This record gives sequence, C-alpha cells and structure tokens, in this order.
Amino acid sequence: MPEVFIDNERYEFEGDQMALQFILDLGMEVPFFCYHPSMSIPANCRQCMVKAGQYIKDQETGEYELDDDGNRKIRWFPKMQTSCALKLSDGMVIQTQETSEEAERAQKDTLEFLLINHPLDCPICDQAGECPLQIQTYKYGPEGSRFEVKKVHKPKRVQLGPRVTLDAERCINCTRCVRFADEISGSKQLTIVSRGDKNYPMTAPSETFDDPYSLNTVDICPVGALTSTDFRFKARVWEMNQTPSIDITNGKGCNIDLWTRDNEVLRITPRHNSEVNDYWMPDEGRKAFEQFNNNRVSRPSVKLDGDNHSNTSWNNAIETFAEALEAHAPQELLLIGSPHASVEENYAFNKFFNLLGASTAKFIPHLISGYGDDFLITDDQAPNTNGCRLISLEETDSAGIKTAVAEAEVVIILADDLVGREALSADDLSAKYTVSLATNKTLTTRASDLVIPITCVAEHAASYVNVDGRIQRSFPAKETKYTNRRLNLEMSEGRLDRYGTNFDNWVKEEHKIDCLPAWEFLNHLADRLGLEFQYDHSRTIFAELSDQIESLRGVTYERMDDEQGVQLPIEQNEVTQA
Amino acid sequence: MIEDWKSYEPLLIPDIPNLHKIDVYEENDGYSALRTVLNDQEKWSRTDVTNEVKAANIRGRGGAGFNAGLKWSFMPEPDDRPRYLACNGDESEPGTFKDRNIFEFNPHIFIEGALIAAYAMSVDTIYVYIRGEYIDWVHILEQAVEEAYDRGYLGKDILGKGIDIDLHVTYGAGAYICGEETGMLESLEGKRGYPRVKPPFPAQKGLWGNPTTINNIETLANVPLVINNGAEWYQSIGAEGHNGPVLYGISGHVNKPGVYEYPAGMSVEDLIYEVAGGIRGGKKLKALIPGGTSTPVLRADQLEGVSMDSNSLRDAGSMMGTAGMVVMDEDTDMVDLLWRISHFFHHESCGQCTPCREGTGWLEKVLLKIKNGEGEIKDLDLLLDVTTQMEGRTICALADAAAWPVRHTINRFRDEFEARCKKSVHAVA
Repeated sequence: MPEVFIDNERYEFEGDQMALQFILDLGMEVPFFCYHPSMSIPANCRQCMVKAGQYIKDQETGEYELDDDGNRKIRWFPKMQTSCALKLSDGMVIQTQETSEEAERAQKDTLEFLLINHPLDCPICDQAGECPLQIQTYKYGPEGSRFEVKKVHKPKRVQLGPRVTLDAERCINCTRCVRFADEISGSKQLTIVSRGDKNYPMTAPSETFDDPYSLNTVDICPVGALTSTDFRFKARVWEMNQTPSIDITNGKGCNIDLWTRDNEVLRITPRHNSEVNDYWMPDEGRKAFEQFNNNRVSRPSVKLDGDNHSNTSWNNAIETFAEALEAHAPQELLLIGSPHASVEENYAFNKFFNLLGASTAKFIPHLISGYGDDFLITDDQAPNTNGCRLISLEETDSAGIKTAVAEAEVVIILADDLVGREALSADDLSAKYTVSLATNKTLTTRASDLVIPITCVAEHAASYVNVDGRIQRSFPAKETKYTNRRLNLEMSEGRLDRYGTNFDNWVKEEHKIDCLPAWEFLNHLADRLGLEFQYDHSRTIFAELSDQIESLRGVTYERMDDEQGVQLPIEQNEVTQA
Repeated sequence: MIEDWKSYEPLLIPDIPNLHKIDVYEENDGYSALRTVLNDQEKWSRTDVTNEVKAANIRGRGGAGFNAGLKWSFMPEPDDRPRYLACNGDESEPGTFKDRNIFEFNPHIFIEGALIAAYAMSVDTIYVYIRGEYIDWVHILEQAVEEAYDRGYLGKDILGKGIDIDLHVTYGAGAYICGEETGMLESLEGKRGYPRVKPPFPAQKGLWGNPTTINNIETLANVPLVINNGAEWYQSIGAEGHNGPVLYGISGHVNKPGVYEYPAGMSVEDLIYEVAGGIRGGKKLKALIPGGTSTPVLRADQLEGVSMDSNSLRDAGSMMGTAGMVVMDEDTDMVDLLWRISHFFHHESCGQCTPCREGTGWLEKVLLKIKNGEGEIKDLDLLLDVTTQMEGRTICALADAAAWPVRHTINRFRDEFEARCKKSVHAVA
C-alpha cells in the first residue's frame, strides 16, 4: 500500500486523497479557512501551507535512495504547498507546522496578511467565540501587527438578502459562500465583486440573496462577514447551550443543533450527517426556534364560551378529561394522531385510548405537492409521517377525517393544527367535545374544549422517522416547569450550567413552559381512570416498540446516537407514496 | 551578443506596406507554411510539426520563455473531447506593447502560426483573447480573420485538406490578471479572471475542462518562420539558448521609443543608444527594466556587456520577460517609480490569494508613505519582509511579479530610499 510520511510518522493511504483532509482525518490539525470538505478546493486562503517533498526512489530497484549517512534522500518541492490541494503520492514527505519552521512561518505570515485589513472588532462580532480566524490567530498567528497604514474600508451592514447581513470588511475572501451558492444550493446568487483587497461577496445588481438555503453561508463563513440578520447581536456563543436535535419543519429530518440560553432557543444550526443533510439545512427549519419559544400553550385550558379559554389546573384538566371519557362509549371517541408528533407520543397516545377500547388513531399526512426540491426541502411538511405508518396508525385524508369527526362525539387531537392546515374546519369540531394535546396555540386549540400543553421537540427526547425511513431522535434542550437541567442526564451542559450563578438570567423561571410530555400526562390520566399505563421515560416506550415492531428490532436510542440515526428497512415506495 | 544586427531584415513584421491585407500577405509568401504542412500531411504529420517547433526552441514570448513545441507535446492524445488553443494577446504589463504591432501590421502571420499549432495539436477551436483596451486592434484582427475565412484558411475543410479549425476573437474588460494563462481561461469561459490551481494543468483540464494549450501571440507568429525555414535556420538566429527574432518594446526616456524587431540577444547598449536613438536630452542612463515591470530593475552599472537573452539577463540579475524595456535616465526618482509599479500590482491583484491580495496593498501603502517623506528606515526592512512573505505562496505569479520589483529596487537603490526616510524615531544614540 502506498505510504506517506507526515511529521516523521509513516501512514498508509489508499486512492486519491488530499493531504489536508488526510491529516484532519488522522485527528491532527493544519489551520485552514477556504477548504470545505463538501465543496471544490480553491486553495485561495493559503493558510494550510505545509512543507512537502518526495523520497527519491531508485527507478530500477524501486528502493528508496540513501545518502551517505544512510538517510533517505528527499527532493523537497520548491515552494510551500497548500495541503488542501496537495494530492498524496507514494513516498511523499509532509512537514506541518509541528515539525517545520518554514511551514509555521508561512502560516503565521498568511495570518498576518489576513489580519491587516480585518477590522479586529471581535468584541462586537457575532462570530467571536466560534470564529476560525480568531481561533487560528491565537494558535498560529503572529503577536501584534506591523501594519501601521490605513486599512481598506468596505461596505458594512449590507442586507444581502432577507436573512443574511454582510460586513464586507470582515470578509477574508475565502469564497465559501460563493461556492455554496454555486455548488450546493445551485442558486448561483453570489459572486465576488471588485478586485484585490477591495473584493467582497455580493449578488448581481438588484438581485437579492433569497436562496432558500442562504443561512448556510453564515455557518460556513469562517469570519463574521456573513451573519444571520435574525440572530445578529442576540447572544454570545459561549453563553448558549448546544443540543443536538432534528429539524421538524419538514420530512427530511435534517440533523440540527438547538442553541439555548435562558430556556429560550435562540438559533438553530445544521449538524453534520452525511446520510441526511451533510452540513446543510434549509432556512425555513431555522425559523422553528420561534415556535419553540413563542405562542406556546402553557398550563391546561378549558373553553368557556365562544372562543374564550381559561387556564386551569392540571388536576382540573385531568378531572375534566376523565369525566368526558367516562361520559362516552369508547366507539364515540375519535383519536387523531399526528405526523408532527414523535413516534413515542403517537404510540403512547394510541395505546392509551386503545386500552379504553377506542379504535386505532387516524392520522393525515401533511403534504404540499410541489413544495419540495431535490435537496433538503420536502413536500412533506411533517417530520414523522413514516413514524405514524411504522406504528400502523390509520392513514386517511381530509374527507376521511371529516366523516370520522361527524360520526364521533369526542375528538382527541395530538399535536396537529388540523384547522390551520384546513384538514378540518372549526365548524366540524363545534358540536363535538374536542381535546387537543398541543405545543402551540393554533386555530385547532382555539376550537378545542380542553387544551393540554405538551412538550415540543426542544423539550423532550423522542424519535422521528424521516421521508427516507431513517429514525433519528431529539434531546431536551429547554427546561419545562417540571424539569431541571442538572437532574436530567439527557440535557447538554453548557458553560452557564457549570459556572452560572443565581444572578444569571439562566435560572429565570419565566421562559419555562408549563407543560408535560404527552406520555407523562397520560400517566396521570391513567391513574385517575385506573388504567394499567405507566411510562417513566420515552426510552421505556421506545424499548416496548422495538420489541413489538419488526423493523425496529435492535434499534435503541444508543444506536441512534452512535450512528446518527438508523436507517429502517422500510420499502421506498411506501415511503414516497403521498 | 549580436554584432551584425544592422543588416537584419525583420521577419515577423517585415517592412511591407499593407501587409495586414490578405492579398499582400499572400503575395509575400503568406500562408505558404500552412500550405506546406497541409499539402504533405505525411511528411508533416502532427508529431513532425511539433518536433520541428520543439527543435527550434521558440521560447515563449509571453514572459516565461518556455519551449513552445515542448508545451504542445504536453497535450494528451485526442479523445472525444474538444481541444482548444487559446492565444494570449492580453499583454497588459506596463512596458509591454509588442503584440499590438503584430495585430496592426502582420495579423496573418499570427493566424497562420496559430493554424499550424492547432493542426499540430489536433485542435479544432482557436480562441484569441485580447485586452479590451486594444479594441481598435481587435477590429483589425477580426478583419484579418474574416479574410482568412473567405480564402478558406479557416473554417471547414481548410484548403480542401480535410482539416476543420475555427478561430474566435474575444477581448477582456481591462484586467491584468486575465493575461495570466488560467485567469484568461476563466475569463474566456465568461467567469471572473481568477487563476486556477495547478495541477491539473491546462493541457489536461483547460477550457471547460478540456485539453487546452495557451500560447502568446508573438510565439505563434514565429511558427510559420520555423516551418518555412526549418529549426536549424531558426536556431541560427539570436543568442545561444535563446533564438529567433524578438519584438523589443522600448519605452521610457529614449529619443525613439517603439517596437523594434531584432534577433534575441541584442546588446542592451545597442538597443538603447543605436536602435532607440539614445537617452533623451543626452542624459545618462540610470536604470533599465528589461522585460516588463515585473522583471527586476537593473542599475546602469549592472548593464555593462549585458545582452537581451535569458542567460545574460539572468546573470545580470534580472529576466527577459516580454522584452518590454523601460529605460530610465539619471533624473528618475526610483522611489516614485517603485511606488507607481506597486500601485499597478495592487490595482491588478485579483484578490484571490491572501498573500497577494493583502501584500500588494501593504507594499503600496508603505511605499506611498516613504514617497511622501513619512517613511522610516524600518519600513524598508518591512517591505523586504513582506516581499518574502508573498513570494512563492500564491496560485499564480502575480505576487512574485509584485514582490520582485520592490525587493530589487530597494536593494539596488537603497541609498535613495533611505534618503527619503525620516530618521527613525527608534534610533538610539
């Protein structure tokens, strides 16, 4: 097998490989800015320079030639090489900044150049704390600056598009954003304009950067040049907790991170998963933080008259619900599950009412035909349509559900705004006793007689099956009234968890929603009704499910965590059917 | 050193009125080299043509001085992909203005050379890229191309010999970097003129990813001479290791600036004092930039016995470049000169690579400070440091081209720069 020698260590490699990626894969480091593993290699930042050469081989014997001291002879390449664009070859010798002073010097020189016209406004820059330029300057940069002349001034606060703001002075012209629009999203809306040190990325005149994936450029921008218009100046990176989760705004299930502070989700960024979304996500999914924070149902409520609701206690809600159930025969109940809710919620919901004798829950896929693209936006507007199919809920459509509602007396809806998405009308529900288990206030909760607040994806651990049949799960990122970060091992721990004090905003109560996981509410309801139904954690529900369902056999939360989701043996035609 | 230059008869641009017209060109043996090749494709196979040109060692006139025939031989074997010849007429370095004369006075010799090159490399499409400022010369060349199409030298079934070659003339929008060969390819593709990372080299992946060779206009104009007279004859012209006629573009403080055709290897002295009529006002020579502003400047005392060929100039401490000679008399302010050169490279850096984008501006700004009498001695050392940080660290050679003049001008005229600097505030008594 061909071999290379990096920092005096021997490594074997196969096929066509570039030095930088190879080094990174080994867990070692060479600083870089413009290189991105999913895009073309422009080698323009010149940061990843290494000293490289080749051991000389005797053409006839194929053996390495030795010098008088018995050391292998090296032919060094005349110039420093950018490791991102340096293709490995047999017998190549590479010295990174670790072993070569020249490489160290070259990297330092490049950083000095990068910084001379950079505004160095880290104290007010959103990127600070997660800025490759900042980090690498500390690690590899020069001390101080020898630049004593005037910096170049460029446009600031430029609204490139509805969601992206540009500060051209911070830009280091790595062209990642331009390449993203060219190669990944395909909108080709960005280019570099002007020339030399006046360069910066821009749209064509009168064009706006409204690419549905535009915010990915903010993620990959290695400096604070491109910032999210929405998130700008909201929080410092180190004040936030980063919790892995799943995008629930469409059927793709993009892997994401929820960034929380003070029990509010402040931003959503994609998390790398080469099987699902690579490094990317649609802009739409990033707006979901609003629905996690705002317009939430907090505390149960009952309908008084007209559309007026009044908050009530959990005890009263349970009692009211139980009385309604006791007043009707099981066949008068209609259960509507939800592709917007998790596998566990749907399963527990369905199981609970099956125990009462009601028939299997129905669900209506939430599809908008033609809405999707061939990238990460899907026609499916819900994250768990396949999950509902997986646990064999009864799939129906708007007409089917209207008929079923007309025949029922009590309608129980799990986390689905059926009125809002016009599968039902408020009139359909007006003559029925309607209970909504809901995360947010919607037209459906407004039309409901009893509203039970349940946790959203940002508050519980639960799994979702995407359009391709991949099951992935969420972690709790926000506390509810009844959870505590420090007691919940599923919750990520951030700097404020470790070092926060009572004087930090972190422990404020007001952003905690008064809600329960659906299964936990059903536990209480089961106690009241005397049913055998008790789940202490979604994990228990999932364990039960994986015993019952063939295609979930052997699937656990641990596997989902280790393998970034598990592809289920679901037939593709079943998946894509509308 | 060329002694008998006075009897030299121009070959690339002979003194024939209206030679740019195809009738006149044909009357004067024009397109005979092309006919020779196409009429006897057995004797002049594609390989034979390439080998003959390789043997002649036409050193690329765009500045790098690479053997043109050898470059042709890097083209891969023909497959089903299109193949291109891209002709570089984007000469934009201050001091370089030689290709313009070919377009103006003898465009057909270039077209003929390009056709032979295209034949040798099995190329079916030729692009000519000319700087936008040369729009008048673009029109002249377009006229010539049209005539060549009318006479059957271009297009389908050239001269009835079953060869199809098309030629397109296109022009840039005023960027020096589009004269860098891969920057030119990007520009030809309609993109921003950002030079490409090599490898892959254009012969493997050039225009639209297809095999492409890039030659300078003057280089290709030499090709018909080689075919008509043979490599051996061509080798007999000029200096050892640097053959053939050269278009010397002489500018600056001389009495008769202009483009002059003489063999390679002319003595600098002859060129300045005989050919270009000497320094204006009878002043003394102070310095010479031999081949366009990117080539290191030489002091008058470094020029003794130096001739215009790559070996002699290398020994003297500079390069042949494009033979665009900038002559400077004793009144020249070297600080002003260097600032102006740096201003050019700062303005023309494409901004792709960090060291060049940031370095060129830094150099210019510090030089401006020195020019304005606000510099300090330490700034000179800073400038030299910055040139080291730029050199050899970028995708194309523009950073080198910007760094060399700074380094060499400061080193060779250090006194003058120091005299312009303030006494350093850091100096300790």
